[in-house]
Amino acid sequence: MPAGAQATSVGRSPLPASLLTRLAAVVGRDALVDSPEALLVYECDGYTLERGAPDLVVLPRSPEQVAAVVRVLAADGVAFVPRGAGTGLSGGTLPVAAPVMICTSRLQTIESIDLRNRRVVAQAGVVNLWITRQVQAAGLLYAPDPSSQGACTIGGNVAENSGGPHTLKYGVTTNHVLGVELVLPTGEVVQLGGAVEERPGYDLTGLVVGSEGTFGIVTRATLRLSRAPEAYRTLLAVFDTIDAASEAVSGIIAAGIVPAALEMMDRLILQAVEAAFHAGLPLDAGAVLLVELDGAAVGLEPLAEQVRAVCARHGAREVRVAADDAERALLWKCRKRAFGAVGRLAPNYCTQDGVVPRTRVPDIVRAITATAERHRLRIGNVFHAGDGNIHPIVLFDERDADEVQRVLAAGREILEACIALGGSVTGEHGIGVEKIAQMPLLFSPEDLLAMTRVRAVFDPEGRANPHKIFPDAKVCVETRAPRRQAAL
Amino acid sequence: MSDRGAAPHAHDLERAGTNADAVDGVVPARVVQGRSVDDVRAIVRRATDDGHALIASGRGRHLALGEPPGRLDLLLRLDRLDRVHEHQAADMTVNVATGCTLGEIDRVLARAGQWLPLDPPAPDETTVGGLIAANLSGPLRASQGTVRDLLLGLSWIGPGGELVSAGGRVVKNVAGYDLAKAHVGALGTLGVLVEATFKVRPRPPCERALVLGCDDPRTALDVALAARDAVDPAWLEIASAGVLAGVDAPFAVVVGWLGLAAEVTDAEQRVLDAVESSAARTLASVDGAPARALRARLGGFALEPAAAMLRAATLPGALGELLAEVARAAADAGTPLRCVAHAANGVARIAVADPAAVTTLVAALRPRLAARGGSLVVERAAPAVKHALQPVGGVFGDPGAGRALMRRLKEAFDPGASFAPGRFVAGI
Repeated sequence: MPAGAQATSVGRSPLPASLLTRLAAVVGRDALVDSPEALLVYECDGYTLERGAPDLVVLPRSPEQVAAVVRVLAADGVAFVPRGAGTGLSGGTLPVAAPVMICTSRLQTIESIDLRNRRVVAQAGVVNLWITRQVQAAGLLYAPDPSSQGACTIGGNVAENSGGPHTLKYGVTTNHVLGVELVLPTGEVVQLGGAVEERPGYDLTGLVVGSEGTFGIVTRATLRLSRAPEAYRTLLAVFDTIDAASEAVSGIIAAGIVPAALEMMDRLILQAVEAAFHAGLPLDAGAVLLVELDGAAVGLEPLAEQVRAVCARHGAREVRVAADDAERALLWKCRKRAFGAVGRLAPNYCTQDGVVPRTRVPDIVRAITATAERHRLRIGNVFHAGDGNIHPIVLFDERDADEVQRVLAAGREILEACIALGGSVTGEHGIGVEKIAQMPLLFSPEDLLAMTRVRAVFDPEGRANPHKIFPDAKVCVETRAPRRQAAL
Repeated sequence: MSDRGAAPHAHDLERAGTNADAVDGVVPARVVQGRSVDDVRAIVRRATDDGHALIASGRGRHLALGEPPGRLDLLLRLDRLDRVHEHQAADMTVNVATGCTLGEIDRVLARAGQWLPLDPPAPDETTVGGLIAANLSGPLRASQGTVRDLLLGLSWIGPGGELVSAGGRVVKNVAGYDLAKAHVGALGTLGVLVEATFKVRPRPPCERALVLGCDDPRTALDVALAARDAVDPAWLEIASAGVLAGVDAPFAVVVGWLGLAAEVTDAEQRVLDAVESSAARTLASVDGAPARALRARLGGFALEPAAAMLRAATLPGALGELLAEVARAAADAGTPLRCVAHAANGVARIAVADPAAVTTLVAALRPRLAARGGSLVVERAAPAVKHALQPVGGVFGDPGAGRALMRRLKEAFDPGASFAPGRFVAGI
């Protein structure tokens, strides 16, 4: 147990004795996890500053089993936490006053692929990347591409409204989800939306996407496939300072260019990924921009020239173009696995997910640098610069309680700087438990009331992923404060 | 917020309703013009306190959509909230008051070489509030998406006069629930929309369109989808005979592209290659203003005179069958039907000339569409025609399994049923 984290089961009452028996009757005893050692796996997701294992993990094998499990829990009024692959970055799967975790990771079937209509129906546990692999021979792809796409699941993507580097041009998860099957906290199953693009009534699918598991459990999703671009130009622009790279980002957007992706990596990140992947990245650079243009081959060269010119005007000392698919793949490997590579630099890291208007990228980068200096922390930057979606990676050692305290303070200050610049505290990771404290800075009491009322439409008893997203006076007293104190 | 009992009328225009203000034949008792957001808050609060039902309206151009209102005490005009608050060209976002027209936004964005790529008909008579509430779109949805894909943030007035906001002004944001989505296509039943932020895009330098002629609907669909697969077009429409002047074919497939000159030329050539061996005939190729005019003509079909305009939604691949069914139904009913379809989206509009044929057609087509997961909405019809639709599911038909959740959602936003009661699905 690290000093910076604390397990807790505050706010929970013991599970009813017969619950295990009734759940075993639904999923089989081997699909229940309740030994303390085995439960450790589930004590956190990708956000590791707070931990707490559930009392019981259920691993259903089908959407129908999920519904049956939820019905058993509903009968006893037991709260639950949905979880996919556990790659979330905001503590969305941390059990807080919810003793049972329901994992959808075994729901791995791609149920239908309709190439003519460009639709896929996938169960919640299908890994994001599997879908593109299934359809790429037909020249199609599933556009949202979070960096964890080799592990994260569609259910988690829907819950968090996940993004990724290429969402700059192609949009985030919500732009590609046409329908969901939702198991309500009562165990009732509702089909919302579907393969047809529009239907009368409220856009409930649009509400469910990004609701962080607080409306119930999504067990199936109907997804839109997109045509794979015919050609790519992937450029790596090298700058002496991160400031110059940030200004170039604004310059590219201002020139009316919408690249498929526009990503920033600073020196600290470059050094980490170069050590891991040997891509020949310049170790003395202040920052690089990874700019990807895609579309019909005929239009790419003029655009690439424009990007090159903007970068040169902002002081790029070199603009390298990926010569072939292999080099493109290597550059993207560096970008998408940057988080993992950072593991070489420090025992622990955490990341933030704020957003600023794209023209304020230089301002927020300066604010992050100043924050790092003020708190004596090492912070690397690898982020979706074209969207203004920052990912400062704060390095630390969780055994150093004082440093953990500075990490938390720096995170709060960076998010508040994003709000002050007219932005948001999360672009794609979600609020989870991590950013609850910032919600009242972003939304008025009326805004938050409207959201909690909508939550009650789907989950009037508050049993689906309770105590997430919204500040909750009761939980502040019972759970949050002790956890934070332990962390500080 | 203006309290009750403060200055008697913060708004400057209030009058009795007339026949010209009628919504589906229902004349509002009063028409009030909101002059500012605070003004609208006070008007809404007073109306709900008095138990009045209200419908918000911009320029009234798209009010034909919906069930005839159950009650209508107040028509709240918002067309004076017409400002483009902020266009941050370098951020590619625009923040506007909902009474602002799409035409005005287009003029502002054009100065920076940008556009909001939503192209419903009559942009100078279409306000942002109407765009969102009626979920309006046009041919560009094939490549640019619809309101839900471009709306970043939204503010509305709730029944107590409270200002509520969701989303924000940045292009990527998952903080809190995406409540803006609930208002898209909700016909104002969840609140009075007052302010919106959209993401915008660079305005493409060139536009080109190719018109292909086909003899039957299934060929037309195959040709359209072959064009889609050759190179994703910016827009892709199928029009039946008589929609496009000078087109001598039972069905026209119109493929549009946007981009650099070299891109649109290349795209057109690829589509010509892809359909070379098909039964399609090349009828015309147009560039620039004529291409834009052709797109506007196809989008404008939604508003052209008809006894009723039906909107059918199905899978793109089922459009050929739908268009064939429509042709058969027209023959059975002995009335001409004209159609325009957004082929890449599976959405078709059917103009019905004979009011007596509407109910029969809806009764015939709706179950067949529903069986394939689709729907049929009567977008526009005279009040008497709408009332006659009740036995066949009304204007919207059954909204499906989400029905109960939709009623609860309405209850959560508008417990007193003040906002456009009876206008929406399932009695909402």
